[in-house]
Amino acid sequence: MEDTRKYNRREVIQKGLTLGLIAGGTVIFGKPDLLMAKGKPAGIPDMVAVKNGEPDVMFRKAIELMGGMDRFVKKGQTVVVKPNIGFPRLPEVGATTNPLLVKTIIESCYTAGAKRVYVFDNVVTATSGNARNCYKLSGIEEAAKAARAIVVPMDDFSYREVKIPGGKQLKTADVPSLILDCDVFINVPILKHHSSTHLSIAMKNLMGIVKNRMEYHLTGLDQCIADFCLYRKPDLNIVDAYRVLMSRGPSGPSNPQFANVQMKKTLLMSKDIVAVDTAAAKIFGKDPESIGYIKIAHAQRTGNMNLKELKIATYAM
Amino acid sequence: MSLIKARIIISGIVLILFVFLFTGTEKISIFLSDILPPFQFVPALVRTITQPEALFIVGLIIIILITLIFGRIYCSFLCPLGTIQDILIWGSKRIGLKSKHSFSRPYNGLRYTILGLVMAAAAVGVLSPVGLLDPYSLAGRIFTHFLQPLITQIYNLGILTLKPFDIYFYPKQTAFIPISALGTTAVFVLLISYLCARHGRLYCNTICPVGALLGLISRVSFFQFTLNKKACSECSQCENVCKAQCIDLQSASVDMSRCVGCFNCLHSCSRSAVSYQRRQNHKSANTWSPGRRGFVIGSIASAAGLVALNANIGKIPCIRFAQATPPVTPPGSLNTTHFTQACTSCSLCVSACPTQVLTPTFMDFGIAGLMQPKMNYEKSYCDYECDVCSTVCPTGAIMPLSLDEKKLTQIGEAKLLEDICVVYVNHNNCGACGEVCPTHAIRFVDKENILYPEIDKQYCIGCGACQLACPTTPRSIVVHALPVHKKAEKYTRDPQVILPEVPVDQNESSDPSFPF
Repeated sequence: MEDTRKYNRREVIQKGLTLGLIAGGTVIFGKPDLLMAKGKPAGIPDMVAVKNGEPDVMFRKAIELMGGMDRFVKKGQTVVVKPNIGFPRLPEVGATTNPLLVKTIIESCYTAGAKRVYVFDNVVTATSGNARNCYKLSGIEEAAKAARAIVVPMDDFSYREVKIPGGKQLKTADVPSLILDCDVFINVPILKHHSSTHLSIAMKNLMGIVKNRMEYHLTGLDQCIADFCLYRKPDLNIVDAYRVLMSRGPSGPSNPQFANVQMKKTLLMSKDIVAVDTAAAKIFGKDPESIGYIKIAHAQRTGNMNLKELKIATYAM
Repeated sequence: MSLIKARIIISGIVLILFVFLFTGTEKISIFLSDILPPFQFVPALVRTITQPEALFIVGLIIIILITLIFGRIYCSFLCPLGTIQDILIWGSKRIGLKSKHSFSRPYNGLRYTILGLVMAAAAVGVLSPVGLLDPYSLAGRIFTHFLQPLITQIYNLGILTLKPFDIYFYPKQTAFIPISALGTTAVFVLLISYLCARHGRLYCNTICPVGALLGLISRVSFFQFTLNKKACSECSQCENVCKAQCIDLQSASVDMSRCVGCFNCLHSCSRSAVSYQRRQNHKSANTWSPGRRGFVIGSIASAAGLVALNANIGKIPCIRFAQATPPVTPPGSLNTTHFTQACTSCSLCVSACPTQVLTPTFMDFGIAGLMQPKMNYEKSYCDYECDVCSTVCPTGAIMPLSLDEKKLTQIGEAKLLEDICVVYVNHNNCGACGEVCPTHAIRFVDKENILYPEIDKQYCIGCGACQLACPTTPRSIVVHALPVHKKAEKYTRDPQVILPEVPVDQNESSDPSFPF
């Protein structure tokens, strides 16, 4: 992916015209998600929701309903799987993505022919001692390595600056080169309570791949979270709502005994990051209208929060 | 095996263990901190006074006993700074700075004055002279301020070269050392290097208070080095290899108060004129007089120093607490007075701290607390799940406390500045402080979907995570030190979480419907 490419005038006019046509068309048809839905075979849902199973079983069912991993990962491609490993917590706290789910996704990518699968997250307090604790305690390091993924610790040299086209608050972001260079980017957030954005789901999880995220805090979290999706949307979002932290998020208590978790045993999957966040908010029991970044992202045409307009496949085990 | 070889091997192992203690991982540091410092004179002495522990008392007794029996072999076998100096002396010989040593007269006046002042200052609770000159603490600072950053940089460069091959390791971070502290250590490194190159172990025999004190004991040690005048051909071989420069051929005497017990002389003599044997009384009477004069001068000087210090004793704490914001001291240090009066600034906690929140200061604690570490919340924060500093601290300045106690120890108090906090000023969600607060002392009050932070002081332990996370410049949330540490309230689970959690699992999982 080129981040500092210069366009010549003709290209700009051409691209502008094409974009305008597409955007205009979508507005007329009233379905912004058409933008992402090109090339989708008939019968494939916009979103899949599975419940009442173990994380690995639910994922296999969901990806099957989605038309298989082959739709997203082609032979020889490099894949980044981005779970939430933001805090030094055990999986039982529900602050970090389920390790079994991460492992199953990686295996599925390799089965689809992926050349390499990278797993990483920028931990919230990025001292070395802590990053290691996060990777280890979450169980994700072990699970990912067992599935032959390459687990990457972040350092100062891992990032490149990119411009956010049309970002209202967030104009530039430092993003890991691995994200910029990969073929497929799979976002694997965990649904949890968040003290300053109400909920942390798929869009909030992308804050973990931005180094200058203190800018988010400084200039307004909701707008910046929505703005980043203007740069790049993940190729697939898989929301882990198996064990949901209902309060004291995003970190949760260090002792799992005191964690207010509910076993929702649910998994959501969609290319539409706004739709998947909307559905997850409903599963949490919160009105999506009250989540700032979901509303902004919908208004910025990143995705669709009107779930009624989407084709959703549900499956209860 | 000769005694020299034994010394080189033992002191080499001890030095390497010290390097691991100060530059190794947390686990290595914790393990070695139980073994090495109890057998270092100053930590053993300070710990025995501040917070007696069996191993340290045993260590102190052993050091005194071996000095009584064998002389100052501590200085050649156990002291890390001694071994560093031996390496420097060896090195300066190799590059031709100095080929041989020669006898020099002792600087007893200076030597005992320093010892007296250091002891007098310590007696009134001012530990900075001990901390500055103590060979263990000085060696610790050299390791922490110079060696550890160097090793870390090399390691990080090394792992950077592996990244293109998709091989990843966690980068290491190194403690922040302010230039004033770094400079002070550098001055000592230069001084010691110069003394080593020109005068052998002169630091140990003139400046080092431990050397001076043990020298008083070794004057009457059971075993002594002696020159057999009849067998001696005055070839000066022994004098040439004597790093302590304490062999006087003219009077055929060895100044045992300065001899560091390296055994070089014993093996240098081709005629076996140098021997290591039981002390003979008439000889010690000979060598006593010049030392005695110095000792008397030193005693008078130190007594004068004590008087001078006593006159100013009221002012010293004033210097210490004069600042508007006294530094935050680590959990376990009880209060600022206890901390500054027991810390010899060896920087072991600085090098062992996994989050690098401990920073050596220069004058932050006043003149009485030179180089002592503080919690530096502009650089890092204190990890909730960590009690490494209290585990490794050899002198009892940071008292050992269990992790559960640590989690409730208030070392400071966070204060929110609502006039600059972005949430209060711009009415935007931020929440960076609350995200990282480990004790849930920061609550959010929802007003029209904007979450405003508030601090519940009773839970705040002053770990500084919020201050570090705060995105504003200057920070809108700042930790103020508690000069006397307090106990925080334990945060219990939320009111709505009183329901039993395990049965809920089964109930929830059977519902097949989706909310959309």
